[in-house]
Amino acid sequence: MNTTIKEIDGNMVAMLEGRLDTAASPETEKAMQPLYDCENQDIIIDCANLEYISSSGLRIFLSVLKNVKPKGCHVYIRGLNDDLRQVFAMTGFINLFEFK
Amino acid sequence: MSKILKRLIPESLRHWSSLAIIITAGVLVEATTAVQYYYAKQGIRQEVEHRAESELRAKSLEIRNVMNVVEVAVENMAWAVEQRLSQPDSMVAVTQKLLADNEYIVGSAVAFEPYYYQDKGRQFSPYTYKHDGTTTSKQLGTDQYDYHSMEWYTAPMESGHGHWSEPYFDEGGGEMMMSTYSLPIRDAAGRCVAIFTADVSLDWLSEIINARHIYPSSYNLLLSRKGQIMACPEDSLVMRQSIGQATAGMADTTVEYINRQMMEGRSGQATVTDDKGEKNYVFYAQMDGDTGWSMAVVCADREIYHSLRWMAINVTVLMLVGLLLLAYIIWRAARNARHLQAVNAEKERIGSELHIASAIQMGMLPKTFPTYPDRDDVQLYGSLTPAKEVGGDLFDFFIRDEKLFFCIGDVSGKGVPASLVMAVTRSLFRTVSAHESMPDRIVTSLNESMADMNETNMFVTLFVGVLDLPTGRLRYCNAGHDAPLLIGDGVGTLPVESNIPVAVMSGWKFVSQEAQIFTGTTIFLFTDGLTEAENAGHAQFRMERVEETARQALAVQEQVPKQIIQRMGDAVHQFVGDAEQSDDLTMLAIQYIKQQRDIKLRKAIVLPNDTKEVPRLAAFVDEVCEALDFDATTTMQMNLAIEEAVVNVMEYAYPPGTRGDISIEAQSNDVRLKFTITDSGSPFDPTVQADADTTLKAEERPIGGLGIHLVRQLMDSINYERIDGNNVLTLRKKLNH
Repeated sequence: MNTTIKEIDGNMVAMLEGRLDTAASPETEKAMQPLYDCENQDIIIDCANLEYISSSGLRIFLSVLKNVKPKGCHVYIRGLNDDLRQVFAMTGFINLFEFK
Repeated sequence: MSKILKRLIPESLRHWSSLAIIITAGVLVEATTAVQYYYAKQGIRQEVEHRAESELRAKSLEIRNVMNVVEVAVENMAWAVEQRLSQPDSMVAVTQKLLADNEYIVGSAVAFEPYYYQDKGRQFSPYTYKHDGTTTSKQLGTDQYDYHSMEWYTAPMESGHGHWSEPYFDEGGGEMMMSTYSLPIRDAAGRCVAIFTADVSLDWLSEIINARHIYPSSYNLLLSRKGQIMACPEDSLVMRQSIGQATAGMADTTVEYINRQMMEGRSGQATVTDDKGEKNYVFYAQMDGDTGWSMAVVCADREIYHSLRWMAINVTVLMLVGLLLLAYIIWRAARNARHLQAVNAEKERIGSELHIASAIQMGMLPKTFPTYPDRDDVQLYGSLTPAKEVGGDLFDFFIRDEKLFFCIGDVSGKGVPASLVMAVTRSLFRTVSAHESMPDRIVTSLNESMADMNETNMFVTLFVGVLDLPTGRLRYCNAGHDAPLLIGDGVGTLPVESNIPVAVMSGWKFVSQEAQIFTGTTIFLFTDGLTEAENAGHAQFRMERVEETARQALAVQEQVPKQIIQRMGDAVHQFVGDAEQSDDLTMLAIQYIKQQRDIKLRKAIVLPNDTKEVPRLAAFVDEVCEALDFDATTTMQMNLAIEEAVVNVMEYAYPPGTRGDISIEAQSNDVRLKFTITDSGSPFDPTVQADADTTLKAEERPIGGLGIHLVRQLMDSINYERIDGNNVLTLRKKLNH
């Protein structure tokens, strides 16, 4: 599981790659910390290379959202494959995030 | 006008039928009274006529008696006179003797034809009379009184018969009313030679005539042949006036007619209106004998019909009172009818509400059978027949996480109160079982809720069972209910602790029991409406008959739930016959029919309780999915479901910091794939965790609680069992073929 955070066009972009299962989530959560510091920026989580996500991974997404939303930052999810989108749908997360 | 009528007539009487009844009754009573009045008047009239006639006859007889005495006395003495015609001087003695023998006769003369005795001259008439107690004799005829021309002399002389003179007042003599009876005396040749007279006092006439009256104010009247008033209540008129004079001024000319009739000696009756306008009835008749007197009886109409009028007034008053009473009764009846109508409407309303309540209650019971047509492990059938519109029996069942939750219960009492408690019980059963799988805890929870609010001291006998469908393990808790029957290889009773009924006492520790249900066995549950169903002779159906019926069903291989319940229902109906159903009758039959299938695939892995081991788990799941030829999506879903389930166990089964193993076994037959996750940690049932609310906003979403939600979404079923000190969680996925 790889997590890369870049600033592109003034937005913070987190690129996730691999399986985000329970075993991988502590590490991923740590890697996502910089997103919490966003200021007047939008956050884009790029899931194009995300193969798998379990509830622990979803919790990280929710955690990011809860931290940045009060600051007026939008969180966008990009490149989610159909299987994972279905997981988002099952859990209602599809209503919480904006998708690109 | 109609407004006045409306104000006067009470509303309830305004209805035409009420008025018609009163008017008809009024007319009938009025007509009856009129007819009665008419006939009564006729009767009285006849009675009056009869009495008047009797009066006339009686008076006539009485008078006639006196007159007869006089006539007979005179006739007898006349014989003596005729014998002594040759002795003129003995005539005085004859007259004296006549007076002495007869008190009514106050004077007597023997008056001869002129010169009958040449020596006695033209007038010879020895006369004796009584005055003030002394008897005096003298010659009647004088130069001033030539009797030969007197009526009393000439009339009998001409007729040759006895003759009564017109009454006269004896002025200067006895000062009384008199009449003279004259009888011709004949000589040996039969020639009339003298007239023998008797002067009779008529003072007794008034006495007789005025003596009695047929009515208090009626009076009698005696008239002479010439209309002289001889006797009447008014003394001043007697012998002073003729009836013509006395009645001269009267307006009603009928009196003149009556006078004429009377003087002509006729009998009859007539109605006379006097000058005061009062009607009087006059009955008149001639007296017997030769006197030519006539008597009248006069009665006042007012008096005759007095009692009749009084009666008529009474009857009219009574009738009015009766009509008023009738009106009152009708008014009351109409009011009662309205009240009754209101009561009926209320009854109808309650009836329709009961009907609705019944529909609601029946709606609470499972009623679509077969309920789980797709399931190959259980069959159910239930029936509830309330004794009234609504009842206090209940049964319910549902499947959650491969467990069949079922209950049957009987609320104390019947009718609406019982039905309310039944509804509460059923609702609580559903609510509690949604997140509680242990029957004793379900019953305890129900008991705590219901005992607290039990103001009416109602209670429920309840049997709650939880049948684990994969294993056939039955956990149950009995709260004072009848033990169910097990119909399998034979017929037996499921052993039960009786505990106490629900809602009796809070704080009771309900004991749960366990039994293994083998494939093919039917659990038959019922309420005491079955065993205590009574026939007309008050004999009960009893448990023996229930068991016998079950054995018969078993003997013919009819232990499918529907068959058993129908057979049992038929047996009860046949037993009860026409007797009224006294209690709710409820039956529930559950047959466990799970068939073991051939296992195609079996793989297992044991992992420690460390989430770092998840990739190994993923590899194991991938391996299983590959063996079953799952596509990528399904493989991902299986991974997700198993990871969530296992991580849940890893995190919660063992106390933090303690190590423990978790074994995961995958097993597949032709129909489904089953993952069994077993740990030896403390009892932990993830299926009773509240499901995540996926509709909340980000700010409100809790971190966590998603895992079991995902498992439920991704797998066909999740099932938890605590077996031999292990938590056993089973996840199933139907294979797509």
